[in-house]
Amino acid sequence: MIVSWNWLKEYVPLTMSPDELAHRLAMSGLNHESTTAVGNDFAIDLEVTSNRGDCLGHIGVAREVSVLWQQPLSVPAIALPTGKTPVSQLTQVRIDCPELCPRYTARVIRGVKIGPSPAWLADRLRAVGIAVISNIVDITNYVLMECGQPLHAFDFDKLTGQQIIVRAAQQNEEFVAIDHRAYTLTRDMCVIADAERPVALGGVMGGATSEVSDTTTSVLLEAAEFAPLSIRGTARSLRLHSPSSYRFERGVDPVALEWASRRACQLILELAGGELAEGVIDVQPKQPAPPQPVVLRYSQIKRILGIELEQDRVLRILQDLGMKLDSKTDQTATWISPSWRRDLSREIDLIEEVARINGYDQIPEDVGVPMAPSSRPDRHRVLSRVRDTLTASGFHEAMTVSVVDEKSSSCFSPWSDAAPIRTSMPMLRGADCLRRSLVPSLLESRRVNESLANDTIELFETAKVYLPTTAGLPEEQWILSLTSGRDFRTVKGTLEAMLEALHVTAELKAEPYSHDFLDPSCACRLLLGGELLGFLGGVSKSGRKQIGLRRETIVAELKLAVLTQFSQLIPQHHPLSPYPAIDFDFNFIVAERVRWDALAATVTQAAGSLLENIAYQETYRDAEKDGKDRKRLLFSVRLRSTDQTLTGDQADEVHRAIITACQEQHQAELLG
Amino acid sequence: MALAEFLEQLNQLAAEATALFDAADDAEQLEAARVEILGAKSGRFKATQKLMGAVDGSDRPAAGKRLNEVKSEIEASFKTAQDRMTSGGSAGGAPVQFDPTLPGLKPQIGRLHPITQTIEELMDIMGRLGFTAADGPEIEDERHNFEALNIPREHPARDPLDNFYLSTAQKQHEVLLLRSQTSTVQIRVMESTPPPIRIISLGRVYRPDTADATHYPMFHQMEGLLIDRHVTMADLKSVLRLFARSYLGADVHIRFRPSFFPFTEPSVEADFSWNQGWVEFGGAGMVDPNVLRAVGYDPEEVTGFAFGLGVERLCMRRHGITDIREIYKNDVRFLQQF
Repeated sequence: MIVSWNWLKEYVPLTMSPDELAHRLAMSGLNHESTTAVGNDFAIDLEVTSNRGDCLGHIGVAREVSVLWQQPLSVPAIALPTGKTPVSQLTQVRIDCPELCPRYTARVIRGVKIGPSPAWLADRLRAVGIAVISNIVDITNYVLMECGQPLHAFDFDKLTGQQIIVRAAQQNEEFVAIDHRAYTLTRDMCVIADAERPVALGGVMGGATSEVSDTTTSVLLEAAEFAPLSIRGTARSLRLHSPSSYRFERGVDPVALEWASRRACQLILELAGGELAEGVIDVQPKQPAPPQPVVLRYSQIKRILGIELEQDRVLRILQDLGMKLDSKTDQTATWISPSWRRDLSREIDLIEEVARINGYDQIPEDVGVPMAPSSRPDRHRVLSRVRDTLTASGFHEAMTVSVVDEKSSSCFSPWSDAAPIRTSMPMLRGADCLRRSLVPSLLESRRVNESLANDTIELFETAKVYLPTTAGLPEEQWILSLTSGRDFRTVKGTLEAMLEALHVTAELKAEPYSHDFLDPSCACRLLLGGELLGFLGGVSKSGRKQIGLRRETIVAELKLAVLTQFSQLIPQHHPLSPYPAIDFDFNFIVAERVRWDALAATVTQAAGSLLENIAYQETYRDAEKDGKDRKRLLFSVRLRSTDQTLTGDQADEVHRAIITACQEQHQAELLG
Repeated sequence: MALAEFLEQLNQLAAEATALFDAADDAEQLEAARVEILGAKSGRFKATQKLMGAVDGSDRPAAGKRLNEVKSEIEASFKTAQDRMTSGGSAGGAPVQFDPTLPGLKPQIGRLHPITQTIEELMDIMGRLGFTAADGPEIEDERHNFEALNIPREHPARDPLDNFYLSTAQKQHEVLLLRSQTSTVQIRVMESTPPPIRIISLGRVYRPDTADATHYPMFHQMEGLLIDRHVTMADLKSVLRLFARSYLGADVHIRFRPSFFPFTEPSVEADFSWNQGWVEFGGAGMVDPNVLRAVGYDPEEVTGFAFGLGVERLCMRRHGITDIREIYKNDVRFLQQF
């Protein structure tokens, strides 16, 4: 809402500077955007919150000024001459859709002379950024900016049948607005029609066929009320926003409506001449409910604001704002809200009014707030440690968008086969699928980095995936995902190190896993304590092609809930054995099908309680020496007792047991 | 073995060791000489040391004393030879081959995303003020995103063009949307917990905005909520001041400007003083009685305040980031800066 300094002066004495005015208004609810000098005037741009439609006109702002500076407010009084012809003999108005238009009033002025507006009026409109057109149109705009009530003037002679029918538009009805563009309407829109066709889009914009022109001699002046929700829908769906629609969306003052109509007639008679028909056509199918009294308990002011206010001060503020005192007791006052403040319907609304006029600077900022305990949820502690381990391993934390496009959504979704949940409109460039995996998003980030010639691209993210369910809210799972340029075992080792940092003691198992997106020679499912933890593998060649990746990458995706479940957030001390350890190295030839975890399990079982550690060294293949489909597994074993120094015999016994078990269970052949 | 014989062997070893070290021409030869004399397993010094066991018991202290002296002598002459090698012949000072200005071998260490760093800072400060972090779903129903927050059906905030409504395969689902604010978590916590409440909710929120330097359709919010008996706007102002002082590490003041939010009344925009001016902190206010009623609280029994701020805006100001889109691009050169 742009306010002209000179215009505002008409309604309230301005005893302050424009800067002071802007600052004080900002501190009491009208945020200051800017002040611009326009000729000998200032255009002050104020931000009006959606609950304060009353401040979308100069009189409303003047009322705030009058309350804040304790200056009298003067609203022009209007006296209209008595016309000869009753308006009801000239025209009729019918409302067919009271839910879209609860009230419609019309006045008719005949014999007007269209011409330019006088300088004082034109200057004011220009100061607030409204185009100057001709006296009649300018007057409707002037009154709109004066009191906030939109008006419309029709060329009365161009209304077929000299009548107004307010009705819902027909589906796909065509309408040409004053901007001379055609709009296709829908049933939920309100049109103002004459006997034949729509002549205005109610509350939004007038029509081309009935607009006031240089040849106009009679006008019908509309002052009406339209339903906010319908106006908003119409303006949005047609992308046709006007100062009128803006005000109707926020609700207009039903009392000012009549004042505005009379005010415009007064100015038309004064500036364009003509004769006003007697009376007004005022169609209002349903009388609005009278405002309900609101009881304010003085004790509530202290209870909400934390400060004590004198009763007289409270009474003064509310009366200045136009509230009518209905009755009062020692502890309470009962109020009726003015017609322009329908937002004041509850006790808390009045407390807010008192607070903002009294000034929020009166509320202290140094009261003693009691202490209270707070704790960190386990999930956050786990997340913290996961992030610390991964950054220590050289991974940067990425953050990607929760909604992806169809291609990304479909390329990898290991947690669910159900179709992704979709948004009603795309979030970014065709992205309308809630993601079921973070991997595609991270790979997209990887692609961007490749294209920027960044060599080392190690990224991880912790975020949610959204899995469809059959009822209730969809399942949201916290997921850890990563993409790395390192090899499979290095990435697996990073995950293992992370589990160690979380003091997970449950067994981590890797099982072969097959997915088109992953390289079959390098993909697995990870289980922790028997529960599905996640997936780890290299992206297949076709997968890389889908994303547009040049270089190979390993990806992993883990469920954070499973990590949290098996984490030990307060690690426990175990006494250390003071006795020396004995180390053995082993080199077994086994068949290719023998996996490390099976061999390690055998060794662990055979070594028994003396086993401290078993450490994989390497796999070696030499078909010529060892035969086809054979491999050597090299590893070392450390034995230690907690209560004595191991003797050579004890150690040899374990050594033999390991060899025997490996031979029996895996046909392992010991080398060296 | 007689003491004299042992001492003779020691002296001979010392002389030979010195000669051997002096004769070495390069580091390789010197290392070979070192292994021959001082090798831990089969060096000659070790061998001589073993002979001490054969010396008469009464003579052993004397033998041991000389053994230690000889060891020191041998080590000293090795050190001299070694210094001769590394100094390239010149006497004293650092060897020319040693260039301490070469860069070290750095392990690669990743960085936490700047948004995470900002969030951790916020959670840390609010934690010290007694606020516990609470989580909630990002996909919400209309009750938690709107109705319970005093946002009725006709409110513009519910416009389909201003929200990401969802379509799911299952038709029996009620209307769902991506949450447009983290206040939804406050409703969920209040529904399931009797007062007093002191929480913050932090996370992703979604609003259809065209991405540009200052807008992105996904961003993060932090909201605080305190509900108890006798909570006033003075408490709100004081908590925000404690927060701002902790965050900025300096004494600042809080200013309220009236505003309008459906879920608070009175509603304000809070600013903090900084560099002789005011910086926007975020929206705040006293929890609207309708919200308290919607979760089954009695507004005559308890009052409360809520406040919210945009994490991206704070993060960008904190780190001097000028384009929000950088935050979600994940260029490693960007990530490395934090």
